[in-house]
Amino acid sequence: MVKGPGDVTRGETITLMGERVKKKAATRKKSGKATSPGWTGRLWRLGLLLTGISLGLLVPWVVYLNYQVTTEFEGRKWDLPSRVYARALDLYPGATITSADLETELELSGYRRSNPVSQPGQYRISGSSFEIFRRPFRFHDGAEDAVRFRVRISADTVADITAVPDGRPLDLARLDPAEIASIYPLQKEDRTLVKIEDVPPLLVTGLQAVEDRNFKHHPGVDLRGVLRAVLANLRAGKAVQGGSTLTQQLVKNYFLTHDRTLARKFNEAIMAVLLEIHYPKSEILEAYINEVFLGQQGAYAVHGFGQASLFYFDQPLEQLAPRQLALLIGLVKGASYYNPRRHPKRALARRNQVLAAFAETGLLTGPEAERASSANLGVTPTPRSRGTRYHAFVDLVRRQLAQVYREEDLKTEGLKVYTTLAPSIQEKAQRAVATGVQKLEDRGLSAELQAAMVVADVATGEVRAMVGDRNPDRSGFNRAIHARRQIGSIIKPLVYLLALEHSDDYSLVTQIKDEPLTLKQADGSNWSPSNYDGKSHGTVTLLEALTRSYNQATVRLGLNIGVKNLINRIQQLGVTAEVDAVPSVFLGAVELTPLEVTQIYQSLAAGGYSVPLRSVIAVQTEAGEELVRYPLRMLPQPRREAIGVLNFALTQVVEQGTAKALPGLLGRTAIISGKTGTTNDRRDSWFVGYTRDHVAVSWVGRDDNQPAGVTGSNAAMHLWADLFSQMPFQSVDLRMPDNAFWLWVDRDSGYRTGRTCEGAVEIPFVEGSEPLKSTPCLGEQEKDEESFWRKLFGKKKR
Amino acid sequence: MVRKSGKPVQSGRYFRLCLAFGAVLLLGACASTPDSGSVPQDREVDARVREPAKQDSEGVQVFPLQNPAVKELLASAGNAESNGDFGQAATLLERALRIQPRDPEILQSMAEVQLQMKDYGQALNFASRSYDVGPRVGEICSRNWRTISVSREHLGDHGGAAEAEQKAMVCMKTKPRSL
Repeated sequence: MVKGPGDVTRGETITLMGERVKKKAATRKKSGKATSPGWTGRLWRLGLLLTGISLGLLVPWVVYLNYQVTTEFEGRKWDLPSRVYARALDLYPGATITSADLETELELSGYRRSNPVSQPGQYRISGSSFEIFRRPFRFHDGAEDAVRFRVRISADTVADITAVPDGRPLDLARLDPAEIASIYPLQKEDRTLVKIEDVPPLLVTGLQAVEDRNFKHHPGVDLRGVLRAVLANLRAGKAVQGGSTLTQQLVKNYFLTHDRTLARKFNEAIMAVLLEIHYPKSEILEAYINEVFLGQQGAYAVHGFGQASLFYFDQPLEQLAPRQLALLIGLVKGASYYNPRRHPKRALARRNQVLAAFAETGLLTGPEAERASSANLGVTPTPRSRGTRYHAFVDLVRRQLAQVYREEDLKTEGLKVYTTLAPSIQEKAQRAVATGVQKLEDRGLSAELQAAMVVADVATGEVRAMVGDRNPDRSGFNRAIHARRQIGSIIKPLVYLLALEHSDDYSLVTQIKDEPLTLKQADGSNWSPSNYDGKSHGTVTLLEALTRSYNQATVRLGLNIGVKNLINRIQQLGVTAEVDAVPSVFLGAVELTPLEVTQIYQSLAAGGYSVPLRSVIAVQTEAGEELVRYPLRMLPQPRREAIGVLNFALTQVVEQGTAKALPGLLGRTAIISGKTGTTNDRRDSWFVGYTRDHVAVSWVGRDDNQPAGVTGSNAAMHLWADLFSQMPFQSVDLRMPDNAFWLWVDRDSGYRTGRTCEGAVEIPFVEGSEPLKSTPCLGEQEKDEESFWRKLFGKKKR
Repeated sequence: MVRKSGKPVQSGRYFRLCLAFGAVLLLGACASTPDSGSVPQDREVDARVREPAKQDSEGVQVFPLQNPAVKELLASAGNAESNGDFGQAATLLERALRIQPRDPEILQSMAEVQLQMKDYGQALNFASRSYDVGPRVGEICSRNWRTISVSREHLGDHGGAAEAEQKAMVCMKTKPRSL
């Protein structure tokens, strides 16, 4: 349906419905009084004239109304909010998940604890096993029926899944996802469409019993109904029944403005009749069921029984019990007056009145109605949040969708947007950021700190969580996407990556100088980078220089690599930021957003298989037709062997470099790759780290870019560690691609050595960069066993 | 070893011969099992990737343990594929990849689906990823390189295609160095 700009919001409209009944009775009475008999012939003539004129006007008027009714009702279409869903959680034997996380996911998906579990949407926990009654749901790749199963979790892993009650083992089950946002139409109406054939029969009959008993037979208006209503109201001494038919009520809400004039009543009646002439009763009733106003959630009007069912009971309409249907039907009379959450007593009385009407008309037996009347309202204490839960992430979703859709379509087309968000990770990330920043402030680093965090799946590039503000409920500036800040040493791994790509010149054991240097800048001034500790460290290996984040060594190396090459490489890794080609770029004088940093490191973490980060997997129409899909696409990086070697080097940052406090913060030992970043005057703190499955970037600083007392390891790394200490994770994948391999080398000289020799460390090399010299100890060992390296070399020579 | 290394060379020549006769002839001549015929489509993937890889790999087989959930999804994807619904097959494989992102079998299946969707760039990329994380030996290795070869050929890189075909043969002979 198309709404004029002057339309009153639905909320106001139907809230008036309760009053409508009284007003109408009054109107009728008044018009009765007004009929005074005509006595003179003059008056007769005048009457005839007027009748003639009005007939002459009436016919075109009816034609006009008829046009309106048919065109609007024919092409009727409600503005439907789009729904944004989190990712559907796949459960399967072997899946890594803690009991606490499964519970979080269930709660966020709107599941309720219940014993016994008897309806879809319920679950219970006994010991280490969850019994879940999964709702029917249309996933992005197909619809699935309701299913009941038991999941047993042991050691943070799904041990098995069995169907209930037959005990059949299931290989795979998934939860319907949490709804994380609705994108509303301008009219701020919330609605879930239902089809007449899917609604409970009691709703159809019950509505008629209460609102319009003669619905089946009347032609749109019902004089008998009006009379009965008037009588009933007189008898009761108050308005208990309305005289408008369902058709009239629909017409009023659908086509007309809401002033209560005689003219409007007149139009309403004619249009109701016209509607009945053109459309079957079932279609009229279906429109009514989807149109009627039944509540208000904040700024959003709840329209139709489908949405009301979710709003009051958090259950789909088809699952409601008679007493619940009775409550909703009762609300037609006045959704705010009988609001069951605000006025439970009134609502209860109204519901029982409706139940009595059910019994009176034989829809329920007396005892059934009696029993239903004694039950409580059963309304959930608060409606499930329909607003946006995760602002930063939804912001990202909107950004991705904006490439394809107009905002207008998102607000009116009832699209289903399937995203990649993992609610349990998102919740943890939010907490990690909020409590982490508070702790930093308590430690006296700086006031007014802000932070951002992005978590993505390494292999698929799917964004699992995003935090854009220390207060996750705030929806303003999203730092994860929009805060462009210098990245400091976060850039260094790329300098070393370029070096490793030059395998003729560099390996991780190549020695470089960490000594003072002075460069002339474009503006004529001199630039002399210094190290964080103020010292120079002489001759160091590439590995040491990277893990300890030495500035002088990095700039020297960078000058050999070329700043333009570095900038090209950043772009190759998926970031298109403009960067000035100055040597300070080697130390991170590049402004990037946390999301862009995540993109760069996703490529590294995935062994050089870049995947554009995505937050949306698919978008479907209301009816389930796929509009767009964002499939997984890989863009392999060149020289992946160098990326493999770099991944190892970054594990050493955590093992013995600037991030060596990380394992202690995590309280766990695992092989993790990471890099800290700090900018001049401690304005920005960065940490980027990845496990086998997740890459996460955290940033801490001040919005005004003032010194904040933060360093990579004293701030952002703490946030990162707080998140990962609550997540099961696995060590990074250090298997080398073709053209790179592991060798035992002497820690000090960098010479090849035997694995049992003193000072032996195992380090990966890009083919062609392996050391040529070997320690005497290696020769000793080779007598006993053919070395791995020898085998390789033998093959190469062949 | 001699037996195994000899065979692929023969089949390689055979393929080039077949190519000369065009796709229809190739189908009839190369596919050792006739096409089911229910779905009219280019079965290049069978003729030039799966069948020869299977033939090559007699004796050198790697069967990685598979998660039952992944197995189920692979089977569904296989059904979708044989019904010609490549989009659905890709969606199912993507779901499997969320479960096991480094499973060479899923990645290679995805590469083969991309091949049939004629997205040769992605076919090449998935096959290459499958090789990187896979056993780098045996049938799957052969499928990896044959997919890469076919993709390169479609992308106009004939030198690269020939090189990849050579690599497919090496899959049967040696254990790669980095294992």
